[in-house]
Amino acid sequence: MSPGIESSPAPADPLRVAVAERLADGDLRLPLLPRVASQVVALVGSPQTDANRLAELIHRDPALAGHVLRIANSPAYMPRMPIVSLQQAVSRLGFNVVAEIAFAASVQSGVFKVPGYESVLLQLWRHALTSGAFAKEVARARRLNVEGAFLCGLLHAVGKPALLQLVTDVARARGLPLEPALLFALLDELHPLVGLRIGEQWGLPKPVLAAIEHYGSYGQAGAFRQDAMVTFLADRLATHILDAAVFGSDQAFRETPVIADLNLYPDDVANLLSRKDRVLDQVSAMVA
Amino acid sequence: MTTPGSSETIRFDVLVIGSGPAGQKAAVQSVKAGRRVAMVEQEPGVGGMCVHRGTIPSKTLRESAWQLSRLRRSSAMLDFTFKPGLEVASLMARLDEVVGAHVAYMGRQMARNGIHVFHGRAHFLSNRLIEVQSVDGSVRRLGGDTIFIATGSRPRTPAEIPVDHENILDSDSILSMLYLPASLTVLGGGVIACEYASIFAHLGVQVTMIDRADRPLKFMDAELVGKLVDDFERTGGRFLGERTVGSVEWDGASKVITRLATGEVIESDKMLVALGRAAAVEGLDLPAAGLRANARGLLEVDAHCRTVVPHIYAIGDVIGPPSLAATAMEQGRRAACHSLGLAPGSAAEMIPIGIYTIPEMASVGLSEDDAAKRFRGTPVMVGRGRFDEIARGQISGVQDGLLKLVADPSGTKLLGVHIVGEGATELIHLGQMALLAGTGVDAFIENIFNFPTLAEAYRVAALDILEKRR
Repeated sequence: MSPGIESSPAPADPLRVAVAERLADGDLRLPLLPRVASQVVALVGSPQTDANRLAELIHRDPALAGHVLRIANSPAYMPRMPIVSLQQAVSRLGFNVVAEIAFAASVQSGVFKVPGYESVLLQLWRHALTSGAFAKEVARARRLNVEGAFLCGLLHAVGKPALLQLVTDVARARGLPLEPALLFALLDELHPLVGLRIGEQWGLPKPVLAAIEHYGSYGQAGAFRQDAMVTFLADRLATHILDAAVFGSDQAFRETPVIADLNLYPDDVANLLSRKDRVLDQVSAMVA
Repeated sequence: MTTPGSSETIRFDVLVIGSGPAGQKAAVQSVKAGRRVAMVEQEPGVGGMCVHRGTIPSKTLRESAWQLSRLRRSSAMLDFTFKPGLEVASLMARLDEVVGAHVAYMGRQMARNGIHVFHGRAHFLSNRLIEVQSVDGSVRRLGGDTIFIATGSRPRTPAEIPVDHENILDSDSILSMLYLPASLTVLGGGVIACEYASIFAHLGVQVTMIDRADRPLKFMDAELVGKLVDDFERTGGRFLGERTVGSVEWDGASKVITRLATGEVIESDKMLVALGRAAAVEGLDLPAAGLRANARGLLEVDAHCRTVVPHIYAIGDVIGPPSLAATAMEQGRRAACHSLGLAPGSAAEMIPIGIYTIPEMASVGLSEDDAAKRFRGTPVMVGRGRFDEIARGQISGVQDGLLKLVADPSGTKLLGVHIVGEGATELIHLGQMALLAGTGVDAFIENIFNFPTLAEAYRVAALDILEKRR
């Protein structure tokens, strides 16, 4: 959900109707999964996981390699001495962390691009990264899938940037006004549909697809209900941490029903909230 | 954070903390005797770890592994290979339905019997009073004249092994893996270690099992365990016995590195730490009830599962091995009978053991060694029925099974039955009934069984004893 935006425009709004028509016609440019990201996913899922292959892969994209090294040297990861090579980064931070950094960075460069909306995209990107980091913490607390949780959290709203592009295109083409409240309402409402199409095109694992489609309606996620609940709580945590005004207080946040549905007791929630600074450090390193 | 609920104490005759197999049976037995019973469960549904993280999820995965293993054996016909990057979730597609149906059934059973179920975490305020905190932080107090502690167990993790639930997993988190790993190290040689080691080996994972003992499952018949280890090694597994683990670490890149005291180094994608289970009693505030856990973290009880506080019983995994669901149920029932002043019967001597490895193992009654001890050196008679000697074994492709009957030195009185092979956990009940009825070995020869069935192995084993009697 878009942080801090609560709105319900009239159903008959012309922009909404036009966007719905384009979606119904399948007239939507889906972003391709950036090549490096798809190779990272394949490598992580491969039985022949190999740290050197990961470093080699990242090296093929000099901008990405520089990005990974910068993050590896950031205070969030507290290197005892400067990390000067990707092999060293993999060895210090771990294969999975570097793979996550590389995946996230390549998704950002390939998907989160809509000229004129840089600040909105940055907001969405920070939210995605924070959700990814919190999803791992929630999964660990519930002994659920930690390695898949990051992807679920990171990509649960991957439909939003593509939808942002579509909505702005439609508004421009039809000369319709684009009010921020309407824009965010449309993003909130329609992004699972678009995200699912993107995820299917990218060949994402089933739990990630279920999290994208159903995180906001996790009761309908079937066998992947737990993954969807973890993702939804990560989304809510990210919203709470990034925009304190949404919930207003920790106490109000604790009343989010998914907390009880995940059977997290007050001390479990306190533990999750205590990870706030660590998560924000990691996100800042990725965003800077 | 806690928020106040009702400050009044709700009174019951019986409080049961935990809704696993032990707690359920204690509750049902008590309520059937007219007692007013409350049950406290910290998870949203009844059933305990058995349903949500243990028995049922692992058996669901086992079923997939077994089916795939059979397909693989037919690969000449089907050209069957595993898809690379196989998702674990796809092997457990029916789990949600199975767990949901089971939880719903048990919930209905509790409701039908009028058992009051409270969802929350319990801790003692005194030896007759507990406080229950709900997930929303509200609290309420429950009082009871008799209390059953049936909180189960959690994986025991030595401090020096860094379980992170991502690369180094325990039996609670092992099934959360996204993809099947290429390789897995299993620490331990108990039931959980063996079940998962054999399941993952049959799924094509390169499994290395490490244990201090010279063979896994020391409490089971050595000949049966030998068959299990043979099968495990035939499917590519490796058992390293009499080894002590020096250190375990995630290399920060892609492997879990296990260094053994012998100097051997084992590398694997993932690790399962299955070094036993510890009683889940933290948070109960046992001292408030006048109780404490022993040095192994377990609650000590007498023959009736009664703790040092006479009206508080401990049942199931909290009192330690054998930590089997069937045993826990019987402990719950017997403890409740004792608390009610009812005779529990003698059937508990015949609780079967079922281990869901691939192949399955099952046992009831005396082992060959125990029988030999009972007869002080006079050799007991043992009959063997091999599955490859019976038609159903050949038809079903389960030729590597073995059924052993242990009889007294005269070869007439049946003392124990031990089985390894597919269907063992079902087949064992025939032997259990024979033992309970005291039918003797000859009953398997004189009576007619369906043909072809695996139960014919009983007849073959009995004939083997008959041959030895001559």
